[in-house]
Amino acid sequence: MAEVEYAGVTRRFGADVVALHGLDLTVADGEFLILVGPSGCGKSTALRLLAGLDKPTSGEIRIGGKTVTHLGPGERDIAMVFQNYALYPHMSVYQNLAYGLRQRRTPRSEIDRRVRETALLLDIDELLDRKPGQLSGGQRQRVAMGRALVRRPQAFLLDEPLSNLDAKLRTQVRGDLKRLHRELPVTSIYVTHDQVEAMTLGDRICVMSKGEVQQIGTTDEIYNRPANTFVAGFMGSPPMNLVPATVKAGRVLVAGVPLVDLASPDRPVVVGVRPEDLQVRGPGTAASIPARIDFCEPLGSHVLVHALVDTDPASPAPATVVVQAPPGTMLDPGAGIGLTASPGKTYLFDAETGRADLTGDPVAST
Amino acid sequence: MAEATVAQEGRRPGALRRLGRSESLTGWSLVGPGALLIGVFGLLPVLMSLKLSFQRSDLLTPDTPWVGTKNYRQLADDPRFADAIQHTIVYTALFVPGTMVVGLLVAAAMNRSVRFISVYRTAAYVTMAVSTISEGIIFLWLTDQDYGLVNAALNKVGISSQPFLSSPSQALYVIVAMTIWGWTGFAVIVYLAALQGVPVELHEAAAIDGASPFTRFRTITLPLLSPASLFLVVWLTINALQLFDEVWLTTKGGPLHATTVIVYYLWDQAFVQFNAGYAAAMAYALFVVIVLVTAVQFRLARKHVHYS
Amino acid sequence: MSTAETSAGPGRRLRLPFSPWHLVLVPLTLVLVAPLLWMVLTSLQTAAEANKFPPVLIPHHWRFANYVDAWHTAPFGTFFLNSALVTLVVVVSNLVVCSLAGYAFARVRFLGRKALFLTLMATLMVPFQVTMIPVFLIVKWFGDNVWSYLGINHLGALMLPNLATAFGIFFLRQFFQTVPVELEDAARVDGTSRIGVLFKIVLPLSMPAMSTLAALTILTSWNDFLWPLIVITSQDQMTVPLGLSYFQGAHSTDWPLLMAGNVMSLLPMLLVFVVAQRYFVQSVAGTGLKG
Repeated sequence: MAEVEYAGVTRRFGADVVALHGLDLTVADGEFLILVGPSGCGKSTALRLLAGLDKPTSGEIRIGGKTVTHLGPGERDIAMVFQNYALYPHMSVYQNLAYGLRQRRTPRSEIDRRVRETALLLDIDELLDRKPGQLSGGQRQRVAMGRALVRRPQAFLLDEPLSNLDAKLRTQVRGDLKRLHRELPVTSIYVTHDQVEAMTLGDRICVMSKGEVQQIGTTDEIYNRPANTFVAGFMGSPPMNLVPATVKAGRVLVAGVPLVDLASPDRPVVVGVRPEDLQVRGPGTAASIPARIDFCEPLGSHVLVHALVDTDPASPAPATVVVQAPPGTMLDPGAGIGLTASPGKTYLFDAETGRADLTGDPVAST
Repeated sequence: MAEATVAQEGRRPGALRRLGRSESLTGWSLVGPGALLIGVFGLLPVLMSLKLSFQRSDLLTPDTPWVGTKNYRQLADDPRFADAIQHTIVYTALFVPGTMVVGLLVAAAMNRSVRFISVYRTAAYVTMAVSTISEGIIFLWLTDQDYGLVNAALNKVGISSQPFLSSPSQALYVIVAMTIWGWTGFAVIVYLAALQGVPVELHEAAAIDGASPFTRFRTITLPLLSPASLFLVVWLTINALQLFDEVWLTTKGGPLHATTVIVYYLWDQAFVQFNAGYAAAMAYALFVVIVLVTAVQFRLARKHVHYS
Repeated sequence: MSTAETSAGPGRRLRLPFSPWHLVLVPLTLVLVAPLLWMVLTSLQTAAEANKFPPVLIPHHWRFANYVDAWHTAPFGTFFLNSALVTLVVVVSNLVVCSLAGYAFARVRFLGRKALFLTLMATLMVPFQVTMIPVFLIVKWFGDNVWSYLGINHLGALMLPNLATAFGIFFLRQFFQTVPVELEDAARVDGTSRIGVLFKIVLPLSMPAMSTLAALTILTSWNDFLWPLIVITSQDQMTVPLGLSYFQGAHSTDWPLLMAGNVMSLLPMLLVFVVAQRYFVQSVAGTGLKG
């Protein structure tokens, strides 16, 4: 059983900096879990603590049921792919792959078999005699993966392994990773700041910010039922529009226009709608939020319309709203428009805590 | 004004030729002083020394008769020179590895970021600033037979006082120790910089692969330090073969010629015995040895030195 | 990782208020500087105390007068002035001559550039012992025929052979090559003259390299022994290492006096080293790593 468990793991640096605060996370055997968040959110810290490269201030870490919190990295039966690959530059690819097995006194014939098998799987069998310096970035990345896989670890740790590859290669390797995990379902914990990688690769995603877990769930759950404004604004490109609004007399009002019914006392809220769930209408359309055009970005398959909404008459700065409009939409800057939202796609968040309320229905259906 | 025109018209052949000529004048006038000085004090002496090695000269009288290869033949038969070579080899064989090992150990200890580390490092480097004469005087005092601190410490653990620099069998080894101390600072600087060039992730990856700290040092760190090690081997060997100052100060080549190294013998022949021709031949022999040894070291390096 | 914790077993941690490495580093550092420390301690002892065996580690009376005595016994003041003058002239000359030549080799295309550079660099392979005898003769010639100040037993003889070194040219050329050519081109387009570019653009950007070369030259010039030994015979022309060696010869059993003289002689270079430490480290580390 290669289940990975973080139990109340905290990592403090000195008295002030809390890199990780009370992380509780269980990764099932064979699951591919993604840790995603902006830099400084604690994801790399969490990975390093699992690897044994750092020790938690409090909490326990378990791999395959065994508590490993005080064990060194070599005693945890884990393997790691580093962001910069960390290949041994003076050793050949073969020796790089064999290194870990040699430390464990694996017999020579067994090492040879496993190295060649893994090299074949990753399509680097032609490169076994070369040194890392003679390889391309993509080849080095595969050798790094090979070095980790050849040991058949209980858990597979990956620290932003695609970030040093160019965009085209990244897409290709992403696919390779998915296929690889299907063939060898090793429990994997993958750290990235790229939400596209997160959503495409992970069985489950753990969104983190400032040392705390924001939400754990599948891609569908994270995207369609975000737990708070952070998750809502972080996942998705372009991100969900979040504008301040108020509840008055049982209705949510954005810029004075009622959007949805909500049984709740009067209070400020944050309304969230994704760009693909908004529509651009004429300026006087019934039940539409008045806005004016800032600029348009044509992208071929669609046009991103950037509009300004005066949500609060008291504050001078308008809120920016991005709408994904059909191709060919051409609007002049400053032009007045009306915005409507698709039914059931309006999210409500508490203005103070940012946590999600129930999704409401629009007042007038379109 | 002409410059501005040239910059604009630089592409045309005529202007290029003009550019080439004016650049040559500029070039030579800039290089002139340096080339002249090095030519007079660096190149010319090399030729003069070669000529001198085929003559007999006492540096004072202008009479320098040609003696052909007599000096070199004499050198081959000179037992004092053979001894000097032997002493120099023994010295070099101990000094070079000794300094490298000490330098590496100290650098490894200093390769961490605890508080005051810059103070510790400065103290480790500081022997670089100590002149050979100061170093010699300090060690004369430390190893003094009657009042030296080293003998006091030896007595404390039951070993009798040693003559050290007054003993023909011990003096050379004391000089080895003395010069290792003097060169430690330099070796620490080189190794520390090399150690800091080894990415931390390599150690982390090796740790995850299950290698113990000692294995990591042997299989990862040392090979990656090999360029620095090569530099030190070459540089320290060249300096070891030229040992002079400390010998002159502490033992004057003695006792009983036990510490006469090649350069000491050379200096003695040139400036005390006034056999300048003979000394010039000796100097050329040393030159050839240095070039050969360095070439051999580089050749061996190709197999063992890894550049990442 | 600078955790101040060591694991003394699962669940138990031994916490020290400081990293355990200090327990290694402090004794190690003390051992390395012990000879220097002992030198200082001896310099403060009385002659009677120094001749005690086993030696007294901490002197009972701190005799600072040893320093005054040393100062009066040998002309240390003259030694310092001589060393300072020679070093100053050599450093300034090197900086000027080597930067001009280094720039020419780096940026100016002239006929025979490559051949000249290789020839000059070849001199780096030649050990001093090969050239020292002829240089002695050359310097003697200068003293007899040009200006006596440049001749045997004068400070000029110490300066003359060292006014420019192939190493200095090599070092500065390497550095100048790293200054982006675009900066010089931009200045030329703006009307700066060919030589003006060197003074107005390249040199101001080269302060770190110049400082490094200056630091190294100061150290090698000040601590030079063999050449002054060959050339200088009168005490009033001696540099510090030479003067110190004769001082030692004359007072070889008066250890406190000797150590006081030694401390005085060491101090200038120790200070220079500590202050300019990073330049020394950079230069040594740089050449060592590039192999």
